[in-house]
Amino acid sequence: MSTSNLTLSQFSLRRLSGKRALLLAFSTLLILFLTLPLVALVLRALPLGIEAWTSRATLDALQLSLTTATIATLIAFGIGTPVAYVLARENFRAKPIVDTLIDVPMVLPPSVAGLALLMAFGRRGLLGPPLAALGLELPFTIAAVILAETFVAAPFYVRSAKAGFGAVDRKLEQMSELLGVSPFRTWLRVTLPLSAPALFGGLLMTWARALGEFGATIMFAGNFPGRTQTMPLAIYSGLESNLDSALVLSLLLVIVSFGILFVVRAISPKGITLG
Amino acid sequence: MLSLDIHKKFDGFELALTLSTPSEKIIVLFGASGSGKSLTLASIAGFITPDAGRIQLGERVLFDAVGGINLSPQARKIGMVRQDLTLFPHLSAADNIAYGLKGPRKDKERRVRDLLELMRLTSFGARKPTELSGGQQQRVALARALAIEPTLLLLDEPFSALDLATRIELRRELKELQQRLRTSMLFVTHDLGEAALLADEMAVIESGRVLQFAPPNQILREPSNARVAQIVGVKNILPAKIIDVNAVRIGERIFETDPVKFPIGSQVRACIRAERVLLIRPEGPSRVHPNTIAGELLDQESDGNDVMLRFRADDARLQPELDFDLHIDIPVYVYERLHLSRQRHWLVTLKPSVLHLVTE
Repeated sequence: MSTSNLTLSQFSLRRLSGKRALLLAFSTLLILFLTLPLVALVLRALPLGIEAWTSRATLDALQLSLTTATIATLIAFGIGTPVAYVLARENFRAKPIVDTLIDVPMVLPPSVAGLALLMAFGRRGLLGPPLAALGLELPFTIAAVILAETFVAAPFYVRSAKAGFGAVDRKLEQMSELLGVSPFRTWLRVTLPLSAPALFGGLLMTWARALGEFGATIMFAGNFPGRTQTMPLAIYSGLESNLDSALVLSLLLVIVSFGILFVVRAISPKGITLG
Repeated sequence: MLSLDIHKKFDGFELALTLSTPSEKIIVLFGASGSGKSLTLASIAGFITPDAGRIQLGERVLFDAVGGINLSPQARKIGMVRQDLTLFPHLSAADNIAYGLKGPRKDKERRVRDLLELMRLTSFGARKPTELSGGQQQRVALARALAIEPTLLLLDEPFSALDLATRIELRRELKELQQRLRTSMLFVTHDLGEAALLADEMAVIESGRVLQFAPPNQILREPSNARVAQIVGVKNILPAKIIDVNAVRIGERIFETDPVKFPIGSQVRACIRAERVLLIRPEGPSRVHPNTIAGELLDQESDGNDVMLRFRADDARLQPELDFDLHIDIPVYVYERLHLSRQRHWLVTLKPSVLHLVTE
């Protein structure tokens, strides 16, 4: 009786450790697969001299990307904040549709987004003639870069902000109003500070996504160095003409991506950023 | 003067609560969860809008469906303390208390200092809510509600989440505070002891209605009907028949009562609080009260404070269809002193004042 028990427990112990070894092997494989390309990139980019970092192509793309991504993020903040608040607090019949529509750009292939933007704002697009009448021509301009980045990246902010607002207990807002504070000032003094980490995390994710935007930009804004050639586009072009610049820009984007994910993880322990 | 007349229909629940009383005291709304107490407070605060009725506080009308008056929560000047999630988590205790204050900073600071002192929190002003104990948090919440000098303070089970010792301490403090500041308070609880302890007047609430509104002693001794008796913990509620102006038949037995207000022959219920049944030694003085029954203790349970016994009459049963006749509660130390675990045969006396008769 006791011997059979002993062998049974030994057996399960062995099985457990076998399972653990298997898990370990698979996770090592996955981590290697995910990090190896990044390590290779870093190994190639690091020894490059100062001229690769300061070349015209590198600096132009860097400046354009930082500017457009920041503006796109600000637009997402300005328009996305009230939308996120309404989606978090109000219930209306069309809400599921609006919710879904806002999420669509997150899963839509960026090239489709670029084509759709062309069909809407292009010269022969839906709004082309009225825009032309006003003397505005969007495609292949810096404005087009910003529009493409906003279109693709804004949902990241709206999602995160919506989750942030939703997590603020309504009872606290009620209590504030009962203490004689107006709804708007309640929003400023209670809702906003309590959802600030989620808003900030959402802004960082939006900025990072805008910085990395490729497909929609190249379709809608083109790939003109110094005008619409953002970092990802410069990397794509650099593969043929200027590999050093491409490597340097790639390294920058890797660092930025890593840094932002790290910060977002640190400020939002509940992981509400990606919904 | 606090005057409530609140009507609102929800899915499967209807609030129809009417109550009027001179203010400047503690009024307790007592009832089980789901009886409509919190909805009543939410209506008074202005978080929900009644379908009909009127809410008046002194001279001020907060809500009047007919007159089209509905003040915003912001304009009602009402303080509130809830059971949980009451403090702003991103603000210190002092900033929480200052939250609703207006005017120059100097005045605000002085007021916050005074309130911290009043609530014995002087050294805790800089702490965040998470760095305070549950009792301290509720003290801060009280101070914050009092800061705006409310005309009415709503308390929604504010002590229910606290441990017993803190709860007892805060109840006493609240009562003292009310006597000092004379602020009208509306206190919601499902704890009968808490209700009886705090209330100047107490409303028993069920299904969104007030079943009885009176001082707690009166409700405990003279519940207005069998349902109230049940809610306020009367264990013996026996069917009875009036047979004379001061006599009633319960089961197979006749009892003397105080003069009754029911016509002779009518069916009523006799409410007998289990802790007011007297045990007498059978070998004691022979002058036997007419309302005395000889019988046997069947079994007992104890919650640590009291022993809850079941008693059965030897002959002429009160509830012949059951296997016992009366619940009797006595303190543990009395149980031990009377050696009730050994001696099982006793006389039981129901004084006329203990027999409270109500309609079915």
